[in-house]
Amino acid sequence: MLPLRYALGNLIARRTRTALTVGVIALVVLAISLFSGLVSSLRHTLVSTGSADTLVVLRKGSTNDGSSAVPLEAVKALRYFEGVARDSSDQPLASPELVVQPFFRTRQGGRENVLVRGVEPMALQVHRGITIVAGRMFEASRGEAIIGKSVADRYVGAELGSELVFGRSKWKVVGIFESGGSSLESETWVDARELAADSKRPVPYSGLRLRVAAGTDPDALARRIGDDPRWALDAMPETEYYDKQAESASIFYVIAIGLAVLTGIGATFGATNTLYAAVQARRAEIGTLRAIGFSRFSILTSFLIESLALALVGFLIGSVLAVGLGHLVSFLLGGIAFGASTFTTNVVELRVGPFDLAASLVLALSVGIAGGFFPALRAARLRPIEALRRG
Amino acid sequence: MIELRDVSRTYKRGADAIRALDHVTLDIDSGRFVALMGPSGSGKSTLLNIVAGLDRPDSGEVVVAGQKLPDMSEDELAAFRARHVGFVFQFFNLIPVLTARGNVELPLLLTHLGKAERRERALTALRIVGLEERAEHHPNELSGGEQQRVAIARAIVSDPEIVVADEPTGDLDAKNAVEILELLRALCTDFGKTVVMVTHDARAEAHVDIIHSLDKGVLADPEMAARA
Ligand SMILES: Nc1ncnc2c1ncn2[C@@H]1O[C@H](COP(=O)(O)OP(=O)(O)OP(=O)(O)O)[C@@H](O)[C@H]1O
Ligand SMILES: [Mg+2]
Repeated sequence: MLPLRYALGNLIARRTRTALTVGVIALVVLAISLFSGLVSSLRHTLVSTGSADTLVVLRKGSTNDGSSAVPLEAVKALRYFEGVARDSSDQPLASPELVVQPFFRTRQGGRENVLVRGVEPMALQVHRGITIVAGRMFEASRGEAIIGKSVADRYVGAELGSELVFGRSKWKVVGIFESGGSSLESETWVDARELAADSKRPVPYSGLRLRVAAGTDPDALARRIGDDPRWALDAMPETEYYDKQAESASIFYVIAIGLAVLTGIGATFGATNTLYAAVQARRAEIGTLRAIGFSRFSILTSFLIESLALALVGFLIGSVLAVGLGHLVSFLLGGIAFGASTFTTNVVELRVGPFDLAASLVLALSVGIAGGFFPALRAARLRPIEALRRG
Repeated sequence: MIELRDVSRTYKRGADAIRALDHVTLDIDSGRFVALMGPSGSGKSTLLNIVAGLDRPDSGEVVVAGQKLPDMSEDELAAFRARHVGFVFQFFNLIPVLTARGNVELPLLLTHLGKAERRERALTALRIVGLEERAEHHPNELSGGEQQRVAIARAIVSDPEIVVADEPTGDLDAKNAVEILELLRALCTDFGKTVVMVTHDARAEAHVDIIHSLDKGVLADPEMAARA
């Protein structure tokens, strides 16, 4: 086998071309891992919002709060269904909610769909992991709102003590809450009845969240609700609900794969060209090595190693940039707003994780192997006497 | 050591066939310094390549170091070259990214020798050509004559019986050319190598044992060189 130093030495010897090829591969890795990171983060945000022992109750056939309505009698009855958990003062952990999706004006002057959730104070206990980190909970009938961490500072008026304008009213921001990075942090919460009045909804509630009591099977309770002939309702564990929401993010994976393939092909051609040039420039050298007795296979491997080394260096640079840029974006912008027809704007913290890096490593290595293969084959197939002839 | 019987080699160039070697029969004894001379295009390199196991004849027998070369596969020939033949070229053909020692060590990578042993032998070979102190220099830091001496060290490092050299002095000035010829001479005399050299260099006559002349692929009767 030819020494590694030989393959690497050649990469260093033709600095400019190497740098160019490495740069292209690094850019591909950067783009793909950022994009993949974004999609993974979005999925993660959506999926982590759900908890398995909380049921989402919606009108039959609705896939999300936005298109649902639940009658008042149903809300009253379901609160006291057997299997619904109670808090320490024996109040049912049930949270009737109204979801609307008005436009908020962003500080940059844009408009974004934001999820506004009308709730009762009980919501703070039914939804897991909600902490008010600044200010306080809103009080009913006073035009007050609390906003998620990602909403804060993103929209006009979205700060403690300021007024948000949406619907027909102005809402005073009295608190900011966190929920451990879940999509709730991209929401604004106000009093349910006020929101219903403001949005002139005939039915005040679009859905209901129920915490399942310990020892009760969430699926069984969900079935009992779904089978109840009095109302046409559907219930499912929150995890399932958010999984379905996250599925709509899958389209982004398709885009990511398409992007990966396209940029990957581009980079492959770049690497191929670089290596063909190297083979051409080193014909006499290849002939010499073959004369000395190196096999076709060791020539093939050496060129493949050159190509893989290009890819690996490209990957290292690209992934370091991607991780760094991910942090920078999160630091500077607080996250990336993700909007799609099926869900409201979610501010997602851009984090490039191991999965995203692994995906782009696979891509980079594929570029290295595919790009190096044909030039390596040509080098290996050179007949030594031809390679050694001048001109 | 080297036996060629009725060896022919034809190159096809488009519709034409160029007969580079025409029924060449040639014996070279072990430990000799042999020159192949003749006009350009007369088939000298072709003959040398066949002797070295780089090329195969269309017909005829080639036995080198007891092995029938035309019967061997591509990979067997590679192994044969690694074991029995050292190469010296007109343009030195050192690997630019490797140091002198790295270049000289290359043939040893095809043996089972360990790292320390390889290094030791490479330095020994460099000492023989008088360049031990330049071991860590890259080819572009060496003069043409020095590069050719490194190439000779590379050719002998694995201790092959045969060294083939295709116009080894063709790219050197007079002083360096003579030094290289003396070095090749020493390989025969001091180390018992069989050296086959293609050359246009008239000065070679003073150093070699036998001169074979080729013309249009046909070998003339051998001449004893001046020194023999
Ligand atoms: N690969 C090849 N394809 C076609 N023709 C070839 C090939 N190699 C050699 N020839 C031809 O065969 C003949 C002999 O070539 P060879 O290289 O052996 O000559 P040479 O005596 O070494 O010449 P020079 O002194 O110029 O090196 C020439 O006519 C040459 O053009
Ligand atoms: Mg020639």
